[in-house]
Amino acid sequence: MTNPYVPILVMMGVAGVMALGGVAASAIIGPKRYNRAKLEAYECGIQPTPHAVGGGRFPIKYYLVAMTFIIFDIEVVFLYPWAVNFTELAMFGLVAMMGFLFLITVPFVYEWRRGGFEWE
Amino acid sequence: MTGGFTAPQIDWAQLAPIIIVLGAGVVGVLVEAFVPRGVRRNVQLALTLLASAGALIAVAALWSGVRETGGTSVVGGSILLDGPALVIQGVVAALTLIALLVVADRTETGESAFAPAAAAVPGSDYEQLARRAGLEQTEVFPLIMFAAGGMMIFPAAGDLLTMFVALEVLSLPLYLLSGLARRRRLLSQEAAMKYFLLGAFASAFFLFGVGLLYGFAGSVRLDAIAEATTTVVGLDPLMLAGVAMLLVGLLFKIGAVPFHSWTPDVYQGAPTPITGFMAACTKAAAFGALLRVVYVVVPSIVWDLRPALWAVVILTMAVGTLVALVQTDVKRILAYSAIAHTGFILTGVVALTSSGITSVLFYVLAYGAASIGIFAIVTLVREVGPDGVVLGEATHLSQWTGLGRSNPWLAVTFSLFLLSFAGIPLTAGFIAKFTAFSAAVEGGATPLAIAGAVASAIAVFFYVRIIVLMFFTDAPRAGDRTGAEVTVVKSEGLTTVAIALTALLTVLLGVFPSPVLDLMAQAAKFIP
Amino acid sequence: MSLTNYLVLASLLFAIGASTVLLRRNAIVVFMGVELMLNATNLLLVTFARMHGDLSGQVIAFFVMVVAAAEVVIGLAIIVQIFRTRRSASVDDVNLLKS
Repeated sequence: MTNPYVPILVMMGVAGVMALGGVAASAIIGPKRYNRAKLEAYECGIQPTPHAVGGGRFPIKYYLVAMTFIIFDIEVVFLYPWAVNFTELAMFGLVAMMGFLFLITVPFVYEWRRGGFEWE
Repeated sequence: MTGGFTAPQIDWAQLAPIIIVLGAGVVGVLVEAFVPRGVRRNVQLALTLLASAGALIAVAALWSGVRETGGTSVVGGSILLDGPALVIQGVVAALTLIALLVVADRTETGESAFAPAAAAVPGSDYEQLARRAGLEQTEVFPLIMFAAGGMMIFPAAGDLLTMFVALEVLSLPLYLLSGLARRRRLLSQEAAMKYFLLGAFASAFFLFGVGLLYGFAGSVRLDAIAEATTTVVGLDPLMLAGVAMLLVGLLFKIGAVPFHSWTPDVYQGAPTPITGFMAACTKAAAFGALLRVVYVVVPSIVWDLRPALWAVVILTMAVGTLVALVQTDVKRILAYSAIAHTGFILTGVVALTSSGITSVLFYVLAYGAASIGIFAIVTLVREVGPDGVVLGEATHLSQWTGLGRSNPWLAVTFSLFLLSFAGIPLTAGFIAKFTAFSAAVEGGATPLAIAGAVASAIAVFFYVRIIVLMFFTDAPRAGDRTGAEVTVVKSEGLTTVAIALTALLTVLLGVFPSPVLDLMAQAAKFIP
Repeated sequence: MSLTNYLVLASLLFAIGASTVLLRRNAIVVFMGVELMLNATNLLLVTFARMHGDLSGQVIAFFVMVVAAAEVVIGLAIIVQIFRTRRSASVDDVNLLKS
């Protein structure tokens, strides 16, 4: 292993095998039972457009989950630079990030208490 | 990693007003999560009132220090706590305090101005259910606190990144708040969407301006950019485009023509207490930030920008005044009047003298107080349904006829605010306009002062028209009315206090302006 | 490749986003235009950061991403609410306030 890039290549190879292998395996050995819902176009939890406009119910939960995901997913961008410079930033960084994480927890608690995570 | 990291020294005491208000917002969210529904409203109200009063006290406590030192830079220069910033923070805190009284008032009908359940589809069974159950969207209180916190950071921002984040922190809650009206919910939601889409568009321009200025100066700190305008050569287009786009974002927030199109719709559609809050506090904060950009960054390139700024000022005054003449909805008239006032305040901004800063600081206080008061009165004049049920606000002008006879006190106070808007002597509006126009003359912008005087003279017409309508026009008999019957509901007391306070301020600032003017003259200096 | 190419690309993306906002009628698409403008600015900031050899441009890009996410949440909430009421997300249908 003289070249430092070889392990990366190996990892990419393993990842590729895992991803493709999973799909291939389920295509080959998985059961195939089609029904109407499965054959319809998938459109973000909404009924496919022709049906939705006239009436029917609107699954608002999808948006709730999407919004929650966006908030917590994006906040991670501040965690990465902090993690990389953890020793450099020392105590100040730790305290600042704890404060930041506390503030992120506040809306999380609000959403939880108000039933934002209950599906039915 | 090259270059060691040194933790910035943070002088927490200097940040006290901001931290108190934003902290109250965070605690307010926790209150929403843990306090039982029944007492939530009272807890929120007490919390937010205490916080804005606390912020006001903190501003007062910081005052002598700032007067002696001229201001300090906090958090490594991201926040500049100088005279104008502190005054705007004080104005925002005080006006938020008064606006909260109007927001919290449920009047004798027992219903607040906000939707019982904002997520319910208008007209649905669930909405009816929520209304009958007496639900309340108490989230408005923390939202107002977050907006007020953003407004307090906005004028104090020492770099453009902080300014951008503050702009968003103050805008995002306002987008939501303007969509929460209890009555005419479709209008309200529509206003929220317009405000949001146009606001996001304007902030994108602001941000691109930040990007260009960063490319020009290699830093987003205002002092560094100001220095670069005199030293860097050959990049003038970059700088001019950057400053222009920055100004677009700021002029949008204050509602100057041609970036005013959201103002009438949002002022009309938003819940009226929020309209008052927005008119007063957003304007104060955005003018604070605009002053800082214009006075710190622009001076060395003022000749390049002068024609554009002058055109904006004159257009703003003209459009605001002329379009207001033909409006028939009270809230829309007040919205166009707000646009015209933006033009008047801008004359103080483009004067580029220290008396210009003083005039802007005084004007936003005088105008803000009168706006909260006048919109508070609008919340009390209601339509009555055929079965005697009190409905939404009676905003059509014809519904205000004869109000002076049936409710003299209300009409007199309303007239007082209108006269202040018109700039009649012995009201705060007169002093404000006088200082703004004389600052413009002093700063070599005499044409603007003349245009402002002409616009004010025309504006007197539609202000006085409302007064005449209220006092000297006979109310149509019941059968003649096209709209619903009109009544004036009794407030729970909070709105009355707010109206009294703002009326008192309007008179006091008009009769004894000198202490406040002196105070603001002492504050009228930016630290770079 | 010269760094100025990135600046040209950023300006183009910004212009495309701005025209999307002004020309398209669907509120969600309009909003996507705004997001495109914000991301064009990110490209601008990162490129300038590279040109100046200064990190603050990259840091600002992080902040912009977070602010944009917050904006998405607020914007989607408002647009979804209107859609549920009217079954339409077209900005042309939002015209009750026209006087």
